[in-house]
Amino acid sequence: MSDQPIPLSGRILDIGVRFLPHLVLFAVIIGAWEISVATGLITSIIIPRPSAIWSAIVELYITEGTIYRHFFITLTEAVVGFAIGAGVAVSLAIASSLWDPFRRYVTPYAVVLNVTPGIALTPVIIAWFGYGMGSKIALAAIISFFPIFVNTLTGLVQVDEDREELFNSLGASNVQVFRKLRAPAALPLMFAGFKIGLTTALIGAVVAEFAQATDGVGVLMSRFSFQLNMAASLATLLSMTVIGLILFYSMEFLDDRIVFWRRESRRAAASRARARTWAAQAKK
Amino acid sequence: MAVQDATSEALVDTLERSLRNRRIAKHVGIFLTLTLLWELGSRMGWLDPLFYPRPSNIIRSFWLIYFQNANVWFHLYSTISLVILGWVLGSMLGIGLGALVGFNTVIRRFLKPYVIVLEATPRIAVAPLLIAALGFGVNSKLAIIMLVCFFAPFINTLSGVINVNEERLELFRSMRASKTQILRKLVLPDAIPVIMAGERLALTAALSGALVAEFIQRDKGIGSLILVYTRNLNMASAFACIFTLTIIGFLIFKGMEKLDHYIAYWKYEGGRERMSAKRKRTMVEP
Repeated sequence: MSDQPIPLSGRILDIGVRFLPHLVLFAVIIGAWEISVATGLITSIIIPRPSAIWSAIVELYITEGTIYRHFFITLTEAVVGFAIGAGVAVSLAIASSLWDPFRRYVTPYAVVLNVTPGIALTPVIIAWFGYGMGSKIALAAIISFFPIFVNTLTGLVQVDEDREELFNSLGASNVQVFRKLRAPAALPLMFAGFKIGLTTALIGAVVAEFAQATDGVGVLMSRFSFQLNMAASLATLLSMTVIGLILFYSMEFLDDRIVFWRRESRRAAASRARARTWAAQAKK
Repeated sequence: MAVQDATSEALVDTLERSLRNRRIAKHVGIFLTLTLLWELGSRMGWLDPLFYPRPSNIIRSFWLIYFQNANVWFHLYSTISLVILGWVLGSMLGIGLGALVGFNTVIRRFLKPYVIVLEATPRIAVAPLLIAALGFGVNSKLAIIMLVCFFAPFINTLSGVINVNEERLELFRSMRASKTQILRKLVLPDAIPVIMAGERLALTAALSGALVAEFIQRDKGIGSLILVYTRNLNMASAFACIFTLTIIGFLIFKGMEKLDHYIAYWKYEGGRERMSAKRKRTMVEP
């Protein structure tokens, strides 16, 4: 890496050169797809033309904008479900890391819950929580619970022994050990669990919508599919991808900010920020 | 980059250790107390038995669906056979493509954006689309299972192939190993533990995929059975089916562990010695 800043035009050119082959390939694939459907090589009922998908996207997202309501409903279900699941999981994990007997007697139930496919509960959850958003949130919470619970518990329990020794020999209290040693050590694993949990929460929300619902992207998806409107159905799938990307990257962002010490550049930035606050305090 | 759920292994280990430590009596005691409380709550009218079935009713439903009516076997067979078939096909596809992409840097570079997009999409969401495209029946179920199975083995094989130990590769090259030799003796053995982790995830996903397909199709399989029982508010039978799935899930977990012990034997304590003793036996015999 040279220290000289690259001029902006150079950078744009660089990005262009990097993305051009991808764009060309994408265009070729789309073109071949379009032509093979247009000439009848592929039945358009099963695989719609790219141009048909594009016009469905334009219709759903721009001219009519019907998708946004469903989009935000599903997003809310996934996020709220995840928040509940994560809250319960983290508090149970903390409790079982602090109190040994609790861990021993909770573990069997956690394992049983884990080996049961959470999706199997869908009809029962719908019977319990109704056709509205409640059942989707509940399913999302249930199936996002386990990865978060396991990762948090593992992170809290598996602490570097030398460090623990150091803490003990310096006479750290239990609260200090938890706050300064166990919790920070658990954070990276916890966030890995959060990422898995978010993905599964989205799956839970969508599957519950398939089973029974009136609003949400999953409903839209199955409705379009059974009308054999494949183009609109694929356009709806796009919004699930977008939700997935939003959820994943916002968690990635939080991961970067909160677990800043894992990445060199972030660590440097955090320590600079601290130095600034200390300098400001010293001035006063 | 590889997907793994090694952590739940740790949890099962704790479970087994705590069960071995002669605390079984306490565990069983707590379990029975909870069950009794549930039963009592239901009988006293605190829990609506229409929605929250009594444990005694669930046990009776087990008897009903397994022996008296014996209607669960047909659905179990339908689900399990499809899960296994779809898992084998889907994960073979995943491993094959993963290896292909792992070895070919050009394909890898061009495939990366699509993989990222695919990774963010909930794969199960494609289920209605596949059912509409392939029709009701076995084809679409199999396609859904294969789709949800594909990804974990694919990613794990890919990362296993990419993360080959450079020094070992150097050694192989300096001894003029052929490409097939490098693949067979270095890359595959190195990647197998990661691939197996992917396979385990895929099998669990396959079961979920089958259930979702059955929820939508409502023809046969354990998922549609659960759906029908719940619709009829026969919650006890629905729970019997769900606990059946718990047992299947546990069998899957244990079965994959056994398979892992057999295939990736060098990862486990004593596995290497066992294998070398076996080899010696076969080598001595002419």
